[in-house]
Amino acid sequence: MTNDFSDKSVLIVDDFADMRSAIRHLLRSLGVSKLEQARDGQDAISHLARKSFDVVLCDYNLGPGKDGQQVLEEARHRQLIGVNTIFIMITAENAREMVMSAIEYSPDSYLAKPFTKELLRTRLTKLFAAKANLSKVNKALVAKDYAAAIAELDRLIAAKPKNLSELIRTKTDILLTAKRYEEAKKIFEEVLDARDLPWARLGLGKVYFWQKKYPLAQEIFEHLVGLDTNMTAAYDWLAKTQTALKQFAEAEKTLQSAARLSPRSLPRQQLLGELALTNGNTHDAELAFGRAVSLAKHSVLNHPSLFADLAKSKSANGKHAEALKVVADIGKTFAAEKEAELYAATATAAVKKGQGDAEGAAAALKTAEETLSQLSAAGHSARVTLEMAKTYAQLGEQEKASKLIQEAIANNHDEDELLMEVVQVCHHADLDYDAETAIREIQQAVIKTNNEGVRLIKQGEFDAAIQLLSGAADDMPGNKTINLNAAKAIIMKMEKLGATADDINAVRHLVERVKGLDPNDWRLGDVVSRLRQLASPSS
Amino acid sequence: MDFSDILASSIHDIKNSLGLILSSVDELVGNPDNKIADVRQASLLQHEAQRANNNLIQLLTLYKIGNQQLAVRIAEHNLDDFLEEIVASNSALCASLDVQLSYGCEPDLNGYFDADLIRSVLDSTIGNAHRYAKTQILVSAAEEDGYLVIRVEDDGGGFPDSLSGLLERMAKKPQGSRAAGRTQLGLFFATSIAELHENNGKRGRIQLRNGHSLPGGCFELWLP
Repeated sequence: MTNDFSDKSVLIVDDFADMRSAIRHLLRSLGVSKLEQARDGQDAISHLARKSFDVVLCDYNLGPGKDGQQVLEEARHRQLIGVNTIFIMITAENAREMVMSAIEYSPDSYLAKPFTKELLRTRLTKLFAAKANLSKVNKALVAKDYAAAIAELDRLIAAKPKNLSELIRTKTDILLTAKRYEEAKKIFEEVLDARDLPWARLGLGKVYFWQKKYPLAQEIFEHLVGLDTNMTAAYDWLAKTQTALKQFAEAEKTLQSAARLSPRSLPRQQLLGELALTNGNTHDAELAFGRAVSLAKHSVLNHPSLFADLAKSKSANGKHAEALKVVADIGKTFAAEKEAELYAATATAAVKKGQGDAEGAAAALKTAEETLSQLSAAGHSARVTLEMAKTYAQLGEQEKASKLIQEAIANNHDEDELLMEVVQVCHHADLDYDAETAIREIQQAVIKTNNEGVRLIKQGEFDAAIQLLSGAADDMPGNKTINLNAAKAIIMKMEKLGATADDINAVRHLVERVKGLDPNDWRLGDVVSRLRQLASPSS
Repeated sequence: MDFSDILASSIHDIKNSLGLILSSVDELVGNPDNKIADVRQASLLQHEAQRANNNLIQLLTLYKIGNQQLAVRIAEHNLDDFLEEIVASNSALCASLDVQLSYGCEPDLNGYFDADLIRSVLDSTIGNAHRYAKTQILVSAAEEDGYLVIRVEDDGGGFPDSLSGLLERMAKKPQGSRAAGRTQLGLFFATSIAELHENNGKRGRIQLRNGHSLPGGCFELWLP
C-alpha cells in the first residue's frame, strides 16, 4: 500500500471557514497539494461540474441550501462524479440516523468529527486500495455489463480476501439489478444459514417481492420490522409489498412509521402522500407533500408533480386559494419546462373543479391536452400519461381516461411498479375500467408474439421473426421490452449471417427509442455491446 | 423543550468547538517548528480536550439510549482493519505522551458489531489507559468461547481490587457507586453499549482484570 497522495486532487466542502482550513492543513501534512475548497452545496456542485476530483471530503451539515447528502445525490445523478471518485461524508454524531437513512445514494465512507491525521491517512489508503481492487467491476457496471461485473467479482471472491463478505454483498446487489433472482436467493440463504444477518434477510425478501411471492415477502419484512424497529429499508419494502397486495391502508401506516423514523427521504414522503391521497386521508397527504416540496427545494430530484399533488391535497382540504398559490410556484420553479406546464394545468383543473368552477376546469383541461400533445411528439414518461388519465377521471371524462390507461398498460406491460400504480389510480378514481383484466390480456398478447418470434428464430426464419417483432414494436413504440426484443432478433440474425449496414441502422433506431424512454434500462448494456461487436470492422 | 434536549444541543456546540481545538493542537504538536517551550503542556491540552470530547460523545449516546433514539447497526467488520483505524486515530496523542500504542489480531478475524458505538467505547478506554500506562498500550481482538473479545491493556499498576468486583453493581446505577469518579461514566457507557449487542440469546458484557499479556489493567469487551 502506498501512502503517497501527492498526485491526488481533493475537494473540501464545509460551510465553516475554520473547519475548511483545519482540514486543508491536515491534508497538506499528508502530502496533498491539489486542493480546492467549496463553502456550500451550490459551490461544491459548481466545482464538481468544472473538473473531476479523486476525493471529495464533504460535511453533511452545510447551513442553508443543499446538505451534504443532496450534494452527493446531485453529483451522482448528473454524473458529475464517476465511480472512481471517492466521496467521504463528514458527520457530527447527531447526523448518524439522518445519514444512515440515505439509502438511494450512499457515500464511499463516513468520517465522524473530529478525526486525526493518522485516521484520515489510514482511511484514504484503504479507500484507494479498494477502488483499485474493484476497478474492473466498476468499469463493467458503468457499461451495464452485469455478466462481466459478476465474473470479475467471482474471481476476487475465489481468493477469499479480508473483505469477502462485502464482495458477496456487492455481488448480490448486482444479481438483483440484473434480475438474476434465483442466484441471489441461493447466496442469501447460504449467508443466513451461518448467521441471521438483516441485510441478507432483507435481500431474500426483495427476491420474493420481485418474484411476486408477495405473502412470503411480507412475512420477511414484517419479521425484520419487529426485530429492529429502526430499520427504515424494511418499512419501505413492507409498504411496497402491502401495496402490491392492495392493502393500501396498511401500506400507508407502514410508510408513516418509516417517515417518522427518517423524515428526510424525498421519495418516501412522496410515496406516502400518494398513498394517503388514494386512501382519502387528505390531511396526511397535504402534510407529506408539504414536506416533500420543502425537501425537494434544493434537490436535483425536484419535480413539478410534487407541487401538483400538494395543490390537489390542499384543494381536497378546502384550501383552494393556497392550492392555486402552489400551482403558481410550479411556473416559478420550473420555468419553460413543458412537463411542468402540464402539471400546472392538471393541478389547476383539479382545484377549479373542487371550487365548483366547471368552466375554469374545462379551460385548464384543454391547456393540459394541448401540452400533452406537444410532449408526445418528443416522447414522454408513463407518469405523465397517468397524471393526465387521473385528471380526466376526476373531471368525469371516463372514456378518455380509460384510453390513456390502456396506452400506459400497453407501453409498460412488464413494469410491475407502474402497473401497480395503474391499478391504484383506477381504484382511487372509481374508474369503470377493469385494469387488472386489461393488464392480463395485454401481457398474454405480448408473450404470445414473443414466443412466436422465438420459435421463428429457432427455426432459422429470421426475416419472419424480425417482421413480426418489428411490427409489434412499431405498434407499441413506447414499450421498451418489445423494442428490445425486435433489436435482439436483428442482432441474432447478424450474428448468424453477418452484419449489414441496414440491419445495424435498424437496431440503432430501436436502441435510441428505448434510450429515449429510459437511458438506464438494465437490458441496454447487453444489446449495445453486442451491436458494437457487430459494427466494429475487425469482426 | 425540556432541559435534557437543551443539554443535548449544547453538547453538539461544545463538541464542534472541541473539534477545532483538537485539530489546532494536533497541528501544533505535530509541527517540529513550533515555539512552545514545554511540549508536554500542549500534549496535556490535547489529551484533556480528547477526553472531554469522548465524554461528550458518551453523554450524547446515553441520552439517545435513554430516549430510545439510538438504533444499533450491527454489521460485519474485519477486526484488523477496525483496530488499525482505532490505533490511527489515537496514535498521535499516545506518541506525544510517550506511550506506545499498538494492536494485534489475526488478519482475517471478522466480527459483528456497531462500529461507531464500539469505536467510542475503545477511544475512551484508550484515553483512560493513557493515565495509567508506563510505556505501552496494546489493543487486541480474538475469538473465545463463541464471543469476540476486544482487549485494551496497559503496563501500569492495574485496576484496584475494589473496581473489578464493583462492576456488576454499578453498571445499572452509576450514581450510587463509590468508584473512582472519572471512570464511572466510562464503565456505565461501555456496559450499556456492550448490552445492546445481542445474538442467539447471548448478550455482550465488559470485564475488568489485571495482568493478561501486559502486567497492568486489562479492559475486556465480550461481544456475541
